Amino acid sequence: MSSASEKPVEVKPEEKPTTDSKPVVKKPEEKPTTDSKPVVKKPEEKPTTDSKPVVKKPEEKPVELPAFEKSISDKIVEKFGDKVEVAFIKKDRVGINVSRENVHDVAEFIRDGLNYDHVESVSGVDYPQEKEIAVVYHIGSYTDPSLARQILVLSTRAQREENPIPGSDATKLPTLRDIFYSVEFHEREIFEMFGVYFEGHPDNRRLLLPEDWADLPPLRKDFTIKGR
Amino acid sequence: MSVIAPDFKLSGFIKSLLDNIFWILTLLVLIGVPAIFIILFVIPLPIIDGELLSPFLAFAALVNPTRLLPIIHAFLTTDIFKVMVFPGFGFAVLLAASVIFAERKMMAKIQLRVGPFYCGKVEGVLQLMGDGLKLISKEIIIPAKADKPIFWAAPVLFVATAAAFVALIPVAPGWVVADIDLGLLGVFAVIGFFPIITILSAWSANSKYPFIGGIRALFQMVSFEIPLILSLLGVVMVTGTLNLSEISASQSNFPWIIFLPIGAIVFFITMLAELERIPFDLPEAESEIVAGWLTELSGMMYGLVQLGSYLKLYAFAALFVVLFLGGWNGPMVVPAFPEQIITEGIEMGPITLTIEGLGPLLHDTITQEMLNGTLWFVLKTAGVIFFIILPRGVFPRVRVDILLNLGWTKLIGLCFINIFIALGLVYAGVIGPGGLV
Amino acid sequence: MTTELPSDIKPTSSKILLEKPSSDWLPPGLALQKVDERIMTLNVGPQHPGSGHMRLIVQIDGDYIVACDPDPGYVHRGEEKMAEYRNYITNIPHLERPVIHDSCNILYPYVLGVEELLGIEVPERAKYVRVIAAELNRCIYIMYWLAIYGIFLGHSTMFMWPTGDRELLIDLMEKMTGARVTHSHFIPGGVRNDLPSNFEDVCLRQVNYFEKRIKEYAAVFYDNPILISRTQNTGVLSRQDAIRLGVTGSVLRASGIDFDVRKKEPYDVYDELDIQSIVMKEGDAYARSKIPWLDMLDSCNIIRQALQKMPKSGSVRVKLKPNPKGKGFDTVYKRVESGRGSLGCYIVSDGKPEPYRLKLSVPSFRNLIALPYLLKGEKLGNMPSVYWSLNYWPVEADR
Repeated sequence: MSSASEKPVEVKPEEKPTTDSKPVVKKPEEKPTTDSKPVVKKPEEKPTTDSKPVVKKPEEKPVELPAFEKSISDKIVEKFGDKVEVAFIKKDRVGINVSRENVHDVAEFIRDGLNYDHVESVSGVDYPQEKEIAVVYHIGSYTDPSLARQILVLSTRAQREENPIPGSDATKLPTLRDIFYSVEFHEREIFEMFGVYFEGHPDNRRLLLPEDWADLPPLRKDFTIKGR
Repeated sequence: MSVIAPDFKLSGFIKSLLDNIFWILTLLVLIGVPAIFIILFVIPLPIIDGELLSPFLAFAALVNPTRLLPIIHAFLTTDIFKVMVFPGFGFAVLLAASVIFAERKMMAKIQLRVGPFYCGKVEGVLQLMGDGLKLISKEIIIPAKADKPIFWAAPVLFVATAAAFVALIPVAPGWVVADIDLGLLGVFAVIGFFPIITILSAWSANSKYPFIGGIRALFQMVSFEIPLILSLLGVVMVTGTLNLSEISASQSNFPWIIFLPIGAIVFFITMLAELERIPFDLPEAESEIVAGWLTELSGMMYGLVQLGSYLKLYAFAALFVVLFLGGWNGPMVVPAFPEQIITEGIEMGPITLTIEGLGPLLHDTITQEMLNGTLWFVLKTAGVIFFIILPRGVFPRVRVDILLNLGWTKLIGLCFINIFIALGLVYAGVIGPGGLV
Repeated sequence: MTTELPSDIKPTSSKILLEKPSSDWLPPGLALQKVDERIMTLNVGPQHPGSGHMRLIVQIDGDYIVACDPDPGYVHRGEEKMAEYRNYITNIPHLERPVIHDSCNILYPYVLGVEELLGIEVPERAKYVRVIAAELNRCIYIMYWLAIYGIFLGHSTMFMWPTGDRELLIDLMEKMTGARVTHSHFIPGGVRNDLPSNFEDVCLRQVNYFEKRIKEYAAVFYDNPILISRTQNTGVLSRQDAIRLGVTGSVLRASGIDFDVRKKEPYDVYDELDIQSIVMKEGDAYARSKIPWLDMLDSCNIIRQALQKMPKSGSVRVKLKPNPKGKGFDTVYKRVESGRGSLGCYIVSDGKPEPYRLKLSVPSFRNLIALPYLLKGEKLGNMPSVYWSLNYWPVEADR
């Protein structure tokens, strides 16, 4: 419903501040990320904004890293080595960035090797400047009492299309539904709200939006609310 | 705040009264008198006290009101009065209406609410009339693909069947519309109509929720009819008759509930199921199937079904009273009518007012026994209805499988126990024809 | 690391709903497309007295449900999109709209997350006020839920009593916050207003009466033989399935898993209070419906403890700068235990006054996943009880 003329007008003022803020944050951290950079094959993975502030922290004061959380991330890094990137380690929260080729294997290891058993939340985050849409899984555990406080934040990124055709463009990710049942409705929601098609998900229908919704996926940044 | 009566003027008040009187008189003269003439001259008139009720006699009755009494007496003994007014339809509707009102107030008290409050000034007594007017004024919507004749007929048939049921109930000695020897069998036959009407209405609506509701009603009524009939067999055995008046009269000493409590309990439970009352209101289960078989009914069609179901409620409660609680029997509490008013008249100083025709009316029709019987009957019926309504405040709805399980296994088993008890009592010579009691 | 279950908390039913994951295995929602002659499709909702603001596409074979496909979204309001256009303070009133009668709890994770993003330390007294408000709100929500559960089962008294008794706590919240339902009371840095004078006494009195009152519900509702016969062993969610489906709150605890965010990951001052998270092992609709009621009794206890331990005076809010903003790119995920279960809020900040992305991970949405699995094979008469025992609030699921 937002016409083509409206979109650029709305997006532009927003884009600018983000680009302003980005180099500021990015520049000093490029170096720390380069340590893990050879690990990452994808060019999209480089500017993972998630990692920046967090990787910075351990460098400045490495003492603050909580031990238990560090051990969890260590296990993943030990298993997958270069394929994963530790985005951040905070109290009770461990962030892992994975490329979309490896997300399925990493999730399987998280379930079988680390005893995480359910996904609390699946969120999409749109990064128009980086031409990517991040999908963030917040994974928790019911069975393991030591993990009750923990949330593992597994983040992966899909390619973003300027003119999305949900379901039949390059914005695709492997589904995690065969690993965690609980993502079933969450992934359906991401599909309709961001246009990220989950390959292998058996039920890629609309969930919340009406059947006749023919506009952009509404939570993308280029879909603007009228009057704002 | 707006003021309801801004300024009250006595002159205005008197003027409004006079206006009312004027209009009443005018309408009476313009409509009432011609109507009387038409009735008296056109319609064949009954024979009263050996002479035909001619227009002359009728006008004489207007002059001397005591001459109306034979006419009233004659009217009270007609069939039309019995069917329309006293033991029949009018009485039942009045009782049912008061039952609805009592139910709503009682439920409100249980649920810490107020209930009907505004309509009719006093505790909302006219709420029911308001609801009825609302239903009449509503549009009747028929589903496009409904089988229209059957769909229209079903509510009417429902009320008619309920009224037929009411006609079989003896209210006081001799006061019954249809005093037939196979009265109880007639009751069973009439009850058998309800599931058919329900499924006809549900099927003809051509809609999903009514269909499910109709099927549920069919299941429920058919499976509960068997324990219903079996539970009454005990009473038939000990009385040896199917005539409801005779069953009622046979309980002058003891109501049968003392000897056959199991039968009474089973009959009460089946009654709840037949009436679709909570906890057995599955055919109208709101949260599952909207309103069940009533979903597509609108306006006064819905009102008719409601009327029919409340008539049915009255009739079942009355049947319980007749069969188990002794019908009209009860201690004589109505005082005898002072005889000297009939024989000598009322002395008011120098004038003695004698009312002719009062004697036959009071001796033949409105007797002391009749009033007493009616009083006890109404009291007992109201009590039974209270217990029918009470579960609505404390029970949730049961599920279909639990309901059918209850009907087909537990209740039928209890019925046979009841029958054995009745047989034992009869063969032991305790009760029954020629028994001790 | 896997903990073996003690044998006594294994669920009573051995019915396992979910098989091993396989590629050709379809979710029950998709089984709808295979239509048989005998099968009738019912659209339960959105205009149905037993559906709420959603649609359940139910297929029945006789009286048995063969497939159920929930179709939420009728009250989708795009709260997450709206949040990207408002700053951290103006987001407060509209974020509580999805569950207005649990409005403190749905704001709680958001406020906690914003406090972490902005680096605000909350005064001690404010934390206690928040806990009291959140527990009162939990009771208010559960009373509303219980009322609807009552009328879904055809128990009209159970509709009227909780609706009436809920007013006690609503009055209390009105005294505390100034609004009956949409309080907007929690703000980053504390709560909006201090408690009124003599609130402690009034609160204690009302809560004590409330507790006495809800204990009476057992006689009319929870011990009712018809209710028990109707809801026991219906819609059984086994322990394994509860874990796999990732359900939360009372649904999870009814299946024998002791998981309460207040206890496992205490926020604010919950670690100083004695919380018993109620667990039942049956996993049926009866257990699921009884746990919220027991939760309310527990909440009354927590409120009394909090009233006792609360500092009697002190500030309840930190003065914020106008238009507060985070320090560069940061993400935060906070969760609390709401009336329905664990409620998470994921905030992505890019250093601007508005959140770059805000996601509410609501318990209703997570519990909805279990509905098709539970309804499959049940009788139609069990649909309302199973559906509403999931502690599901359609407006919250749609957001």
